[in-house]
Amino acid sequence: MNILETKDLRKTYGNGETAVHALDGVNLTVENGEFVAVVGTSGSGKSTLLHMLGGLDTPTGGSVIVDGKEIFTLKEEELTIFRRRKIGFVFQNYNLVPVLNVYENIVLPIQLDGVEPDEEYVKQVISTLGLESKLKNLPNNLSGGQQQRVAIARALAAKPAIILADEPTGNLDTKTSQDVMSLLKVTSKKFSQTIVMITHNEEIAQMADRIIRIEDGRIVVGR
Amino acid sequence: MVKVANQTYIRRLSWKAMRVSRTRNLIAVIAIALTTILFTTLFTIAISINEGIQQNNFRQVGGYCHGSFKYLTKEEIDTLKDDPLIKEWGVRQLLGMAVEKPFHKSHVEISYCNENTAKWMYCVPKKGKYPAEGTNEAATDLYILELLGVEPVLGNEFTITIDVDGHPTTQTFILSGWWEYDEVCPAHHVLIPESRLQAICTEVGVTEENKVYDYTCSWSLDVMLDSALQIDENMCAILMNHDYQPEGYPEAKHPISYGVNWGYTGAQVSQNADPTVVVAIVLSIVIIVFTGYLIIYNVFQISVANDIRFYGLLKTIGTTPRQLTRIIRHQAVALSVVGIPIGLIIGWFVGTVLTPQMIKNLNGIYSTVSINPMIFAVASVFSLMTVLLSCRRPGKMAAKVSPVEAVRYTEGDGTKKQVKKIAKRISMLSLAKANLGRSKKKTVITILSMSLAVVLLLVTVTFTSGFSMDKYIQQFVVTDYVVAQSGYFHVDDAHFDDEERVSDELIDEIHAQGGVSEGGRIYGTTGLVRQHVTEEYLRNYYARYFEAEEVDAMIAGSKKVNEGALIHHVQLYGMESFVLDQLYVAEGDLSKLYEEGSHAMAAVYHANDYGELRESTNWAKLGDSVTLRYTDGFEYYYTDNGEVIENIEKVSKNESRPIDSRMTGYRDVTYEVVAIVVIPNVLTYRHYSSDGFIINAQTFIRDSKTADAMLYTFNMEEGADTAMDAFLQNYTENVNEDYSYESKMTYAAEFEEFRMMFLLLGGVLSFIVGMIGILNFFNAVLTSILSRRREFAVMQSIGMTGKQLKKMLVCEGLFYALGSLALAFGLVIVFGPMLSGVFESMFWFFEYKFVIWPILVLMPVFTLLGFAIPRLVYRAVEKQTLVERLREAEN
Repeated sequence: MNILETKDLRKTYGNGETAVHALDGVNLTVENGEFVAVVGTSGSGKSTLLHMLGGLDTPTGGSVIVDGKEIFTLKEEELTIFRRRKIGFVFQNYNLVPVLNVYENIVLPIQLDGVEPDEEYVKQVISTLGLESKLKNLPNNLSGGQQQRVAIARALAAKPAIILADEPTGNLDTKTSQDVMSLLKVTSKKFSQTIVMITHNEEIAQMADRIIRIEDGRIVVGR
Repeated sequence: MVKVANQTYIRRLSWKAMRVSRTRNLIAVIAIALTTILFTTLFTIAISINEGIQQNNFRQVGGYCHGSFKYLTKEEIDTLKDDPLIKEWGVRQLLGMAVEKPFHKSHVEISYCNENTAKWMYCVPKKGKYPAEGTNEAATDLYILELLGVEPVLGNEFTITIDVDGHPTTQTFILSGWWEYDEVCPAHHVLIPESRLQAICTEVGVTEENKVYDYTCSWSLDVMLDSALQIDENMCAILMNHDYQPEGYPEAKHPISYGVNWGYTGAQVSQNADPTVVVAIVLSIVIIVFTGYLIIYNVFQISVANDIRFYGLLKTIGTTPRQLTRIIRHQAVALSVVGIPIGLIIGWFVGTVLTPQMIKNLNGIYSTVSINPMIFAVASVFSLMTVLLSCRRPGKMAAKVSPVEAVRYTEGDGTKKQVKKIAKRISMLSLAKANLGRSKKKTVITILSMSLAVVLLLVTVTFTSGFSMDKYIQQFVVTDYVVAQSGYFHVDDAHFDDEERVSDELIDEIHAQGGVSEGGRIYGTTGLVRQHVTEEYLRNYYARYFEAEEVDAMIAGSKKVNEGALIHHVQLYGMESFVLDQLYVAEGDLSKLYEEGSHAMAAVYHANDYGELRESTNWAKLGDSVTLRYTDGFEYYYTDNGEVIENIEKVSKNESRPIDSRMTGYRDVTYEVVAIVVIPNVLTYRHYSSDGFIINAQTFIRDSKTADAMLYTFNMEEGADTAMDAFLQNYTENVNEDYSYESKMTYAAEFEEFRMMFLLLGGVLSFIVGMIGILNFFNAVLTSILSRRREFAVMQSIGMTGKQLKKMLVCEGLFYALGSLALAFGLVIVFGPMLSGVFESMFWFFEYKFVIWPILVLMPVFTLLGFAIPRLVYRAVEKQTLVERLREAEN
């Protein structure tokens, strides 16, 4: 079953002579439980693609279907609610809320939705990511790797249809990058979580189930 | 330390850094301007009132030169006038006073003076010019012309009889110029040319050698010095510079007398003497500095926190901490250069509006709005001081920044907090609370700044609503109306004579208006009435005002009657029944005073504003006998042979034979004190000279052989007030201007005005401080939202809806707004009763009432602000897309 699908997705910045086609007709399908890496150089359009997939930016043309829903038919407010239920984000610079402790950060999307978190599940996620002893800590006294683990836990906690990871290891050293990637892989398998990760790092990309390459706003097959 | 010429670079760097933060600059400039407005307003009012007091003094003195040297010869003037201590000088030569009708009641001086002196005596022609030498011209004021019945048309002739050294001479002049007259000035002037003055002297045969009075044809030199400080010392120094000595100087070879204008010293003394004024001004300055500090500090603190990466970067590339503080200070000064002038201008205009309101309610102050440059200088200094004080800590913070940490710095990192308890439930409210906790200092200062305005408003309202009209009126008005001649109400005119009596015709006319329920006269003494007192008492009485030797001299000079008693002044009242009803009886029984012709007497005591009797204000106790001496006439005589002097004024001042005066007929009448009373202020002579006594009106007429009503007071039937007010207003303004009146209504209006003054003053102060508070709040919200743009984008990307975000921001805003109300409320609850105690001791008509309505009124206003400002600011943020915001912060 396809959990994610894009049809002829286009994004153009500017117009006329100066128009830049960041995405130039992207057709992409991701199956449930798949761990996909999107690889491309900077300016290839991979970040734009991720933003489109997460409904953070609106496309110039085409559509994105997440869990059977065409997300750009949703209104702004509905889209946000859809996002917090169906999409988890992991950012390069973690983006934790500084005034909330680790646990609160993890359950924030769930609580924003006004529902009680699934305690059992959250506990499982926390222990898988090795965060049990840090729950009351505030983000600013965690290491980068720890912060990214919290971000992953936050993305997982709401049991989203898909996790979008934007250079999750971009700010981390090699050793920590490996750890975080292993964790992503483990969780992907353990919770059969669909993950789409963008990176410019081939080595990191190798850990995914499938690699999609993107160049000048188009998916390049093979190589 | 190596001195490096880097000032220019530092300045350029501050300038560049400044240009980036436009919003901060705007807010800081407004904050500085508002602070300056407060200072300028305060100083404008204070200095204007002080100058008003001075002006009033000058008008009473009759001039505003710093001082005068008197009884000079022309040679002496020539020697003195070029002294370096003298900035400007003017000369005057007095011929004499105008006599005979219509000038028998006015003080009119005929003199020559040059333009400086004329200007300093307020004798500047409004129309025409000064009299020209060698002509028959003269200039004078409209009052004189009116008395003479001469139209104020230049070229008209007028004739005055002048007493020149005891020789009356009638002279005719041609009007060359006139000016308006000033009621407060004691003397009127007729200015004539020097040539004419000499001619008149020659005509009546008065010369320097044969003149009787010192002042006749004597010259005086009026001077302006460099400053009004130490006039006395400088006048003295001027004399000594030229080998002259002040009069009374030991072994003076060439004594010259001089006078210092007490208008200057008087104003200074009155200012120094009133500690409440000093306290009020100091307190206002402290409040303004504090208000200014709260916002300017906050603005700079926030801006430094937001730009901390920039300062970290500067430090990384080698900027020293000292240079960093200097960068902040440069910015502060640059912003002050813009903000302070704006504040000075607006503040001065606010001051010009408020000052007349203040002065209207203060007696004896000339209404003036000062444009003294001191106002602007002092206000600027205080504002700049506040600004520099406020940016000291932010400067230190920038200086202390660690280059490495600065890069990672986000607001709130300053807190040592590492862990946080897990909240049961994250709501927008708890998020808002957590956000405010990031920078507790900022939150506290913002709330404090806003609540300051609320507290000020509450204090103002509590204060003014505590003014008890009943208490106030009771003190001043016991009856509905008091009618008397204008002089009676005039504070400066401490004299009552038979020409100032209230006529029976007027009283009849008042009754003819209808509606008068009851009324009565108070008779005042117009003949000579004295009391017998003991020497001991008189000694004590004089000792209050005079030195020991002077007392001895005065006692020796006092008239003696039998058994060692002395003659002393007395304030005697004859009161009709209705007036007796109005007295406050402290001891004894008044009933005998109602009997016509009885020898019962009430002794008058004074009470303070709280109604407590002041023991020292009369010597007589209940049951004492008081003997009064009614004198029918007196004469002057030479004590050596008893020869009676026909006209005392004709006696030369060099007369060597001893002179005294004696009564030509008198009656001693003894009364018994049956009551100790207090007369309501409005029904007294309105000046204090000596012990007061009251007897029955008929007794008064019988014993004093005079019947001059000082005033008539009466009550009206319900509802007839308005008609009577209209009648009296018309009568006193149009029919007979000699009369004046006071009514309950005028006092009520006066009270209302007094209250409005405080309300206005407090209201304006609260308003400006409130503006500062709101600006501070706006800045806090604005900067906190702008600096969290990325965080909001993150929150939205992980699922916070725009609605939820706005709710969180509104919660933050409401917390500020309502928090400041709550704080103000708490402060007033705690300190209100304490403050009211102070008010009660300052204003006897103050009654503490707990006031809550301003908070209730402000609640919706503040709620609206707390609701609207975050939403407005967020609207600006919302315009950027999520992706833009997410990206922006990453750089």
